[in-house]
Amino acid sequence: MESIEYLVPDWVRVRRESFGLLFYDTRSTRLTFVRSGDALEPPAFVGGDRRLRLVMAEGGAGATPGPATVAVSRATADRTALARLLSDLVAKGLLVARKAKPDPSPFSGDAGQTQ
Amino acid sequence: MPARLSDIPLKAPVNVTWEVTRVCNLRCAHCLSAELRAASDDELDLAACRTLVDELARMEVFQVNFGGGEPFLREDFVELLAYCHERGLTTCVSTNGTVLDDDLVAQLLALSAPVYLQVSLDGARPETNDALRGTGTFARILQGVELLATHRYPDFSLNMVVTRVNVGEVADFDGLARRYGAKTRLSRFRPSGAGCGAWADLRLTRRQLLELSAFLGEHPEILTGDSFFALTPAERRTAGLTRCGAAKMTCVVAPDGSVFPCAFLSDPAFLAGNVRIAPLSTIFRDSPVFRRFREMEPAACRSCDRFPVCHGGCPAVAYFLAHSTGAADPECLRAVEADATLEEVL
Repeated sequence: MESIEYLVPDWVRVRRESFGLLFYDTRSTRLTFVRSGDALEPPAFVGGDRRLRLVMAEGGAGATPGPATVAVSRATADRTALARLLSDLVAKGLLVARKAKPDPSPFSGDAGQTQ
Repeated sequence: MPARLSDIPLKAPVNVTWEVTRVCNLRCAHCLSAELRAASDDELDLAACRTLVDELARMEVFQVNFGGGEPFLREDFVELLAYCHERGLTTCVSTNGTVLDDDLVAQLLALSAPVYLQVSLDGARPETNDALRGTGTFARILQGVELLATHRYPDFSLNMVVTRVNVGEVADFDGLARRYGAKTRLSRFRPSGAGCGAWADLRLTRRQLLELSAFLGEHPEILTGDSFFALTPAERRTAGLTRCGAAKMTCVVAPDGSVFPCAFLSDPAFLAGNVRIAPLSTIFRDSPVFRRFREMEPAACRSCDRFPVCHGGCPAVAYFLAHSTGAADPECLRAVEADATLEEVL
């Protein structure tokens, strides 16, 4: 099954906020507020791994985040909403999508919206 | 939860303006930092600057906007920029352009991340700019701009503080910037620092304010980073800020480490703390000045149809002109449209 992973480009900064994620495009200085709850975890502020990570709800507190891969062929409401959200962020240039190895881990979470 | 996510308090500023030195080789008529230049000489040294950078990175502040004074007159400034990049911070420098040379531009280009430059120039003609920034500065600034263009500097803007004497040159100024491959940024003239004394002579007339508002509506590509939202026409609703970000999305650190809500309110009445004494994160989160600022909203503006696009305008202008940060911005579009007496007092 084909999965996609999402990377934060060099010109974008992202951090966690109480509502989810806050993206900052350094080229335009535009902010994007994303109501993603705890579903997505940004990459470390400094470091080489720029992958957005998905927090596994089943693991509960302390669960190990995994790469935010979305198996687009699996349809659940949350997954569809999250895929739409990620696709929206890609369209805005805030994420870059690329093919990844299949990630069999299930996921759930509040897919959110952007403003 | 508030309807708009942008109404939810952030854990840290989006960007921090850092007036990194009070030293300057120019004496501009409208300088907002003129009072800082006159203050005592106790700038943060490089070790203290690094400590602050570490704190900014820990807070996950996205961008540091360096100003002054002239930041490039600080000998360790490029080293400080490099350290910011090492810690993951995006940097932008507001410079008067007169100290740019081949060596400095090469050093900036060699850094691990881009440094966004805003070069201050206050007119499209030498006589206009020089009346505000000093005799001969137009040519000196353009030499610096020429260098940036020659080196194909990737991202820089020409920044004009819009005043009564240069507002008629805005279109030519935009053309000038384009010729050098630069973006155009217009900043609002505010009555703080030296701008207090120059306010009566340099403030825009009512007609100029309305013309500028219309011009901005027709030119969404022109950047207006700070506080023109009071004049923002409907066409630019998505082009930038719609409210003052002071103490919410931004704050300013003065050369001595003092922290204020914004560069235009670097007044003792708004001193929130000092990074030598307390971490910036603590000041940002707990300072009574900042808490008060976050709750402030001009009551008189709530029924205005433009409230969603300006939220009362610029508190600094309100403070210096109406002596209250809780007052409406006296230069908001509705006030300007309605108040013909604005023309009479000019």
